[in-house]
Amino acid sequence: MRAELYHRSVVAVLILLLTVPVLATLLYSLSEHWGATILPDDLSLSWYLQLWQDSAFLAAFGRSLAVCLGTLLLATLIIVPAVFVVFYRFPGLDKLMNALILIPFAVPPVVTSVGLLNIYADGPLNITGTPWILVGCYFTIALPFMYRSLANSLASINVRDLMDAAHLLGASTPVAFLRVILPNLRKGLMASLFLAFSFLLGDFVFANLLAGSHYETLQVYLYNMRQTSGHFTSAIVMSYFLFTLFLTWLTARFSK
Amino acid sequence: MSYVEASGLAKKYGNATIFQDIHFSLRKGEFVTLLGPSGCGKSTLLRSLAGLTDIDAGCIRVDGEDITRAAPQKRGIGMVFQSYALFPNMSVEQNIAFGLKLQKLPGSEIARKVADVIRLVALSGKEQHYPHELSGGQRQRVALARALVVEPRILLLDEPLSALDARIRKSLREQIRDIQQRLGLTTVFVTHDQEEALTMSDRIFVMDQGRIVQEGSAEMIYTRPATEFVARFMGSYNLLTPTEASRLLQLETRGHLAIRPEAIQIFTPGQAYPAHLSAPLPATIRQHQLLGNVIRYQVQAHGITLQVDQLNRRAEDLLAAGTEVNLMIDQQQMREVH
Repeated sequence: MRAELYHRSVVAVLILLLTVPVLATLLYSLSEHWGATILPDDLSLSWYLQLWQDSAFLAAFGRSLAVCLGTLLLATLIIVPAVFVVFYRFPGLDKLMNALILIPFAVPPVVTSVGLLNIYADGPLNITGTPWILVGCYFTIALPFMYRSLANSLASINVRDLMDAAHLLGASTPVAFLRVILPNLRKGLMASLFLAFSFLLGDFVFANLLAGSHYETLQVYLYNMRQTSGHFTSAIVMSYFLFTLFLTWLTARFSK
Repeated sequence: MSYVEASGLAKKYGNATIFQDIHFSLRKGEFVTLLGPSGCGKSTLLRSLAGLTDIDAGCIRVDGEDITRAAPQKRGIGMVFQSYALFPNMSVEQNIAFGLKLQKLPGSEIARKVADVIRLVALSGKEQHYPHELSGGQRQRVALARALVVEPRILLLDEPLSALDARIRKSLREQIRDIQQRLGLTTVFVTHDQEEALTMSDRIFVMDQGRIVQEGSAEMIYTRPATEFVARFMGSYNLLTPTEASRLLQLETRGHLAIRPEAIQIFTPGQAYPAHLSAPLPATIRQHQLLGNVIRYQVQAHGITLQVDQLNRRAEDLLAAGTEVNLMIDQQQMREVH
């Protein structure tokens, strides 16, 4: 009985710790004013209306979406065939790949950014301040999510036997890949895409250092808006939070 | 006239020889088994026939056509894998129709052929099921149907029964043999299970360390093993060294003497025994194992332990450990192997 009470209180405190800041932010974003009183004076959606009518916000949101979706499209086109080749032709490379995909996380983002700035700030490839440098950089961030998830999917099917069976039934390697292997990667691919997407959408360090105000993304916009009303920034945070929540739900759905 | 001819096949991975000096020919409609322990090269040899593994030397001909360098898609060979290799994203029907769709046959013809082969492997009613919804035996029958439906010139079976439990294995091997005979399909079967090989094959090729060490009918391989390896591999042969043979039977041999456990008879003292057999050999029962219809005795004679199989006729005939008996060994059934 005592043990159960203890367990319940631990869980309750944890849930409280996690939800109070979010609920407070939500409440703050919904209140017109919140000054000397314990509870807000009057609730309204006015900050949200103001936010979603702000062309700078919409543009920043659009830029974030463009960079993230562009990155993930590029990543899908490159990583899916690459993982397949590793598993089908060069299984020995899997170990090397597992070490390689750690690098983007092992090197702190600031260090990576400084390195990238040094290389791409002038010729021959001067792409600092453009979305292209973000796409390239985000690709390396998406790689670990996608590689691991696809590798798990491939490990769960017998790639070699499936390919051999398809070959013997008359399929060429590309046909066998498209019709036999790819459909089995769909779940893993979708889950990793959503995960990588919500991760990339939340990036501030790379976006700020590599592109900054030349290409203002959602997080940079949020940062630039820090001097405006707290109610307004709360509305930005909540909009972003709900959007990622939706993506997380989708991830969970596709991982099943 | 041989339908399939393989000559001088050899394969190496680095310095390791997988198989070498492989020659054989198969008649049309013949069921041949490559039998050997794991690592003897039998599966790689089978994959080479399918074109899934390149060979370093040699030539493979099917119906007079040289297919040594042909792509797997062009060989007209069907294969069933140990892992079933069913496409997880496709239903039973889609799995089976896969090869036919690639041949771009009209839909009605595909439907007819798929229905026919589903009936042949007794899977009616399972058409819309997915592989994960089927039992191991059913999956293997789907794999068989998928290989058969494209009407291959040769069917290759790579240990298709090893992942199944004993009862299913037995019924499925009868089914496979039955279908093979009905279709008159030239079939190469790979297994490490002697019983499977003996019950299913027209001919058996026994492989050891990348070579075919003996080939012949099931009957011949079982009763006349050519080498010590075959004798050991084919079952519970008693193998006597030349010294043991001389001590036990006063026989001078250069190689090992192989005696099948069922070629030895046990006579209890006082029991009448046929006069044409050799002089009785006194022995003691050490222990017995019940194998169902057969009782396998460990019997000791002159300090040498022999295995003797007796039909399990009546429970009261069972001989307890320590019983003194006489052994009769049919000299005709002894084989000297090297």
